Amino acid sequence: MEEPRIGVYICWCGNNIAKMVDVEAVAAEVGNLPNVVLAKTYKYMCSDPGQDLIIKDIRGHHLNRVIVAACSPRIHELTFRNAVEKAGINPYLFEMANIREQDSWVHTDRSEATKKAIDLVNAAIHRVRFHEPLQKRSVTVDPATLVIGGGISGMVAALEIANAGKQVYLVEKTDRLGGHVARFDLTFPHLSSAKQMIHPIIQRVENHPNIDVFKQSVIRDVSGYIGNFKALVQNGQPEPLELKFGNIIAATGLKSFDPSKIEEYGYGKFPDVVTSMEFEEILASGKVLTKHGKEPRNIAIIHCVGSRSKVYHEYCSRTCCMVALKFVNQIRAGLPECNIFEIYADMRAYGKGCEEFYAESTHRQIIFLMFDQQEKLPVIRQAEKTDDCNMLIEMDEKLSGESIEVPVDMVVLMVNMEAHDDVKDVVHAIGVSLCGNQFFIEKHPKLDPVATTTGGVYIVGTCQGPKDIPDSVAQARAAAARILATIAQGSVAVEVTTAFVNEEFCCGCQTCIRVCPYTAISFKEDKKSSEVNEVLCKGCGTCGSACPSGAITSKHFTDRQILSEIEGIMSMSYKEI
Amino acid sequence: MSVRVQPELRNQLIQFGIGDWNACYHCGTCTAICPLSEEGFLFPRKKIRLMQMGLKDQLESSVEPWLCYYCGDCSKTCPRDANPGELMMSLRRYLTSKYDWTGLSKKFYTSEVWELAFILLFAALVVIAFLVILPSMGYHFTKELTADGGVKVNSFAPIHIVEIFDWTMAGVVATLLISNILRMYYQIIWKKSKTKVSLWVHIREFWLLIFNFAVQPKFSKCDDKRYWLSHWLLMSGYTIMFIVIVVYLPWFQTEKIYPVWHPQRLLGYYATIGLLFGLGVAIIGRLVRKDVKFQFSHVSDWLFVIMLTLTATTGILIHVFRINGMPVATFISYIAHMAVLVPMILIEVPFSKWSHLAYRPFAVYFAQLKKYAVPK
Repeated sequence: MEEPRIGVYICWCGNNIAKMVDVEAVAAEVGNLPNVVLAKTYKYMCSDPGQDLIIKDIRGHHLNRVIVAACSPRIHELTFRNAVEKAGINPYLFEMANIREQDSWVHTDRSEATKKAIDLVNAAIHRVRFHEPLQKRSVTVDPATLVIGGGISGMVAALEIANAGKQVYLVEKTDRLGGHVARFDLTFPHLSSAKQMIHPIIQRVENHPNIDVFKQSVIRDVSGYIGNFKALVQNGQPEPLELKFGNIIAATGLKSFDPSKIEEYGYGKFPDVVTSMEFEEILASGKVLTKHGKEPRNIAIIHCVGSRSKVYHEYCSRTCCMVALKFVNQIRAGLPECNIFEIYADMRAYGKGCEEFYAESTHRQIIFLMFDQQEKLPVIRQAEKTDDCNMLIEMDEKLSGESIEVPVDMVVLMVNMEAHDDVKDVVHAIGVSLCGNQFFIEKHPKLDPVATTTGGVYIVGTCQGPKDIPDSVAQARAAAARILATIAQGSVAVEVTTAFVNEEFCCGCQTCIRVCPYTAISFKEDKKSSEVNEVLCKGCGTCGSACPSGAITSKHFTDRQILSEIEGIMSMSYKEI
Repeated sequence: MSVRVQPELRNQLIQFGIGDWNACYHCGTCTAICPLSEEGFLFPRKKIRLMQMGLKDQLESSVEPWLCYYCGDCSKTCPRDANPGELMMSLRRYLTSKYDWTGLSKKFYTSEVWELAFILLFAALVVIAFLVILPSMGYHFTKELTADGGVKVNSFAPIHIVEIFDWTMAGVVATLLISNILRMYYQIIWKKSKTKVSLWVHIREFWLLIFNFAVQPKFSKCDDKRYWLSHWLLMSGYTIMFIVIVVYLPWFQTEKIYPVWHPQRLLGYYATIGLLFGLGVAIIGRLVRKDVKFQFSHVSDWLFVIMLTLTATTGILIHVFRINGMPVATFISYIAHMAVLVPMILIEVPFSKWSHLAYRPFAVYFAQLKKYAVPK
């Protein structure tokens, strides 16, 4: 190995670092350490002149290792890796020391913070000595795509990709396309017809030459990695069909909460207590009637059924408030004299046109009654013979502080959206994770909301969390665009900092296979040792730390690198202890 | 115990003013901005809630609508344009009709035909009294003047008869108002099953009633003090006139013409200026409709200011014609004055807008009593 020639750059980050850390002192202290050729400070290392400084020094001083002590590597590691690569050094021979988030921002004593910065930089110096150059790799992409779920999200994504001339396999569990949207009567906030919107989409999907629709089918035995997946489609036929595809879109959606669990509402006991989905069908029938065929004179709509509750689901289902207001408008149009009660916990009307829709709906002679979800749910009971109504709702009305009873003939329960019972099978098959609410987890909640941590697997629509039609469609089209981009490129870069197994040390215990969250490790019977699929591996290091015989090395996180980093951090200010 | 929601109450309430209180989504900005809303007496939001839900009993036992003096800050800051100030005004009309046991108040507030018919009926009775009844009793109009050139008013409007009539009218109005106030007391204090107020507290806090009647200190807490002033000028002018006419009529309605500095004339001039100033502010305000409190004028609001203005102007005319020795003009303006004054007193004071002269100070008194209520 050639002798390391290290260049150290301490960033001021304007005042962010320089105010709390004496950057010149840090540079002076580390400048004399073995292998350190130069140590410099600069106002903003990430700026173009900052990067040029590094490039010039690499060329002029023949540096072969570079350290930047600045912000978190999450922010600028890639920036500096690209810069050193430009000067002809392998980007993995670069290391970053975080002296902002982990130092200047969180401390108040300048001399102590300066000492800590020296420690952190020293750790990086120790580590970078043992860095090894790593090579970028890529795999080719099969242009076909598998879409799981034939609701509006899945169909829109499928159409987007198929219209670009690429093959799509659309797998739907039930016997029809359209999902929940096909069961809606009108949509909020513009009260336009759901059926008129969804039917042409179903037609286009079913007739599209580039889309193969598999109804009443489930997917199983998914294997492979980004660009090169394969799986079996099981649809009642004795022989399952094998499909090959490069990307997967999960659009499995959510289902309605079963309100019979909530005793207070008497769902199942009172025939005129219906769920919001059932009420959609009543509305679509053209006439709102009770089970006895009478026109209801009082209708109550109860919000947050199963939502925002410590007992059932803590999350908000996002769409029910606006669906309830849509109901209010529809009921008012059909039954001008009917008393309509909106029994809500909080009115959530965010989104384009929704607050306006709420304000407008308040003028439909609706009586809004508020209950406290945490304190006490409204209770529905049978009315007495002497009462002028079918049922009575007893509740503590929050905004008046009064205990009231509400006469009703029909109650609509705005049921929560929750995960399907078989959600775990799906996520296991395609290798994505679930959050506590059993929603699919996206790669980054803000910056990457349609990708997952598994390359080539995307999530769209409500399986990622409750959402309305526009958001589902936007996600579907975003995922399609991402997939089309990889197809167009023909290949995708894969993780470099993967793990590998030293077959000679492997004892064959298969611990690594059990702990790997990406199912990237398999066991080779012939060699009696584990093997890492470098395309699937994300370099998380779990296997490396679990391996009892030290046979697994995580590239860029070798034992040698980490131990010397620790040595570095302990060797300066703490030597007095 | 739960109370039944009564959505149909809305249909009754909307007859007393603007109806779209569903616009309110209970942010509470109105209550926060109101300089008069305080712990224990929070409004307007809470009252709007009772209206929305149709909680009749709770509404009718509310004292808060009378503690609002309609500065309009709530309506100005309402993010939903729900006009809380006007809703409180509508509620005061509704409550007035509820305190009144005769049912006439509700008729007058909800039907212009009824109100106009009664005004015309009383006016006609006044005209008949002067043209038929009094002459038949021997009191004839004369063109003769007094020694100092004044009109002989007593010839057609004899003091002792007018005085008896004034006292009778005051008695009728007072009986009605007092019975209504007792009903108001029953609703706000007596009916509360869980609490009671001791007799000593009733006596100790009674001064508040007098003080609030005379000065309206609560009104002065509203941000715009100008309305307090114009209201106070109007109210003090009216009170002086009322006392002078009912209690001191022989001292006031004289045939002799006193010099300008005489208290009889000075008091009259003050009362007239106070009335006209207050009325001017109200009329211009309601016409221009720039200020929130004057944006919505119910028929009862207009009738009140119009009738009071007519009473004041005909009163001025009587004075001018009398001291200038113009007997025919004095006679006509005297009849006209009585023809607006009598219906105004008989309709406005016990049944309509003017009843607030009693309900407001009593409400402050009752609110104070509520503060000292103890559990039974």
